[in-house]
Amino acid sequence: MVQWYHSIITKLTVAFVILILVIAGLSVLYTFGATKSALKETTQDELTALASVIATQIDGDTLATFQPGDEETPEFIQMRDQLYAMQTSSPEILYLYTMKQTSDGIAFVVDAEYGLSEDSAGIGDVYDTPTEEMKAGFQIPIAEDEYTTDQWGTVISGYAPVKNAAGEVTGILGVDMSATRVIERQDFIGNIIYLIMLIGIGITAVIIGIISKTMIRDIRSLNDSAEKISTGDMNVLVTVERNDEIGELAGSFSRMVSSLKIMMMDDSP
Amino acid sequence: MSDISEKVLAITVQVMGPASRRFLERQTKFHLDGLEFDDLTKDHIPELSKWVGISAQLIVDDKKAAMLAETIKKLG
Repeated sequence: MVQWYHSIITKLTVAFVILILVIAGLSVLYTFGATKSALKETTQDELTALASVIATQIDGDTLATFQPGDEETPEFIQMRDQLYAMQTSSPEILYLYTMKQTSDGIAFVVDAEYGLSEDSAGIGDVYDTPTEEMKAGFQIPIAEDEYTTDQWGTVISGYAPVKNAAGEVTGILGVDMSATRVIERQDFIGNIIYLIMLIGIGITAVIIGIISKTMIRDIRSLNDSAEKISTGDMNVLVTVERNDEIGELAGSFSRMVSSLKIMMMDDSP
Repeated sequence: MSDISEKVLAITVQVMGPASRRFLERQTKFHLDGLEFDDLTKDHIPELSKWVGISAQLIVDDKKAAMLAETIKKLG
């Protein structure tokens, strides 16, 4: 009896499972990478569109007038409430804020959570590490290419210019989306891909196992007949019928056995 | 060897292998009144196919034996 690890079933199944793993692995790598990139692009497009739409709702003339210390003015509170209402209307939005260029750099103007959250920014609070996309936001609607991590967490941001009545840019509107949401979406798609791959490998292994089993059954049957003949027992019938190479082998073996029987009959007294 | 003998032998070799001639000679000798296999004619085919069907069952499985007998019978 052949050891299981030398069996053709084991060898065929292992070989095909490895083959499927390699092919599926490469496909998953490519698909996951492409999906991740597409998801990020979609998120960036969403952010850019969202920032553009909200920016048109902001009064650029009023924004330009805000100075540090104006946080309690009715105009500031009205704009903050407007931004806060927009921020809370969409679960996708983590933070909404406006900024403008100052002599010290890019500084916050109206933060939607000002006075409502401890770590909100006041007028004139300079953003320490402005990105190229943030600077470009004063010209065109744009989204960050990478996630940024700051004191408010890891986010991906979009920006759009805020204009006054004359069409001049007086600031930018920033929209932050939590990286967690995007990563959750990526993980969900990744898990689905892995699940499909596992199911595919499982089904393939079962199919290969079944095919191998029928092959090995017929080979064992031929082997049993050969074993009997080798011990002098000619009372064997080859019943294997297949249309493949094993079938051809069985046919040849059957003719050989038949001829041996005929010759032994002739020799018998 | 007659033409029909050659045809019967060619068919039988497919099932019984290289000793087919011995097998057929035995059938004609014992069941067709001592006829030499080489002298086989179409008239002998029905009787030969019957005995091939019976004798082949001792060597190959019933299905193959019946199939061989039927193929030989069609030569008649």
